[in-house]
Amino acid sequence: MVPLENYLVLSAVMFSLGVYGVLARRNAVLVLMSVELMLNAVSLNFVAFAAYLDPERITGAIFAVFVITVAAAEVGLALAIVIRLFRNRATSNVDEAAMMKW
Amino acid sequence: MATEVLWWIFAVATVLLSAGVVFSRSVLHSAIFLIGSLGGVGAMYVFLTVDFLALVQFLVYGGAVTVLILLALMLTRTDAKESLNGTQAPWAALAGAMLLAILVSASVAVKWPGDIDDAPTTIPLETISEKLFVDFGPPFVIASVLLLVALVGAIILARQEEGE
Repeated sequence: MVPLENYLVLSAVMFSLGVYGVLARRNAVLVLMSVELMLNAVSLNFVAFAAYLDPERITGAIFAVFVITVAAAEVGLALAIVIRLFRNRATSNVDEAAMMKW
Repeated sequence: MATEVLWWIFAVATVLLSAGVVFSRSVLHSAIFLIGSLGGVGAMYVFLTVDFLALVQFLVYGGAVTVLILLALMLTRTDAKESLNGTQAPWAALAGAMLLAILVSASVAVKWPGDIDDAPTTIPLETISEKLFVDFGPPFVIASVLLLVALVGAIILARQEEGE
């Protein structure tokens, strides 16, 4: 079978791509998509660790369920904010949403 | 052996689709790559014998989240001439590459115990539900309240107000 390292490297690659996307992209929706990539990498790590190291093989999956719940809430709220921003400022560029910047 | 070959196919596909999300020059292509990438993670859950989670992944991410994202993309307009990346992109690449180096070297350096071969059977749904509703009961209730509050808040935020 596939060793645990493979899953860890896969999720590390996904997480790093997500970090790059969050930092480099200017469109708020694209930033959000990169955040989704990072969240998925983290849940994959949870589940992989649970499957290999937890005798019950299940706690990590429960954590992943909670991660998915919080991610769903986050996506709903963030997209509402993006739509609001677009309505008020006619842009979805995060660089231009600097009203609260000191 | 066949499982391993399949695993590598899905792993490479997931990485390529994830790269497509962050490197694509079109917002819509990014969103479509994201669907594939999240599906790849769902396939990984099947390899890890948590079929229930794979189902949830396909339903929640493949269905709900990507539809929300596509909807937001349609409601907002992106200037096609403008670059999707900011001037900070090289620094972002540097940060991502450094993080990747650290994470990969750490996960390869450690000798991990345990092997999935010991119990390759699928985890039954009853075990998951018992763990979720009994052992993790209070967090489950809190998470559902969080979801409710967040979605009501989203509606209030996105609502068209009087005189707007």
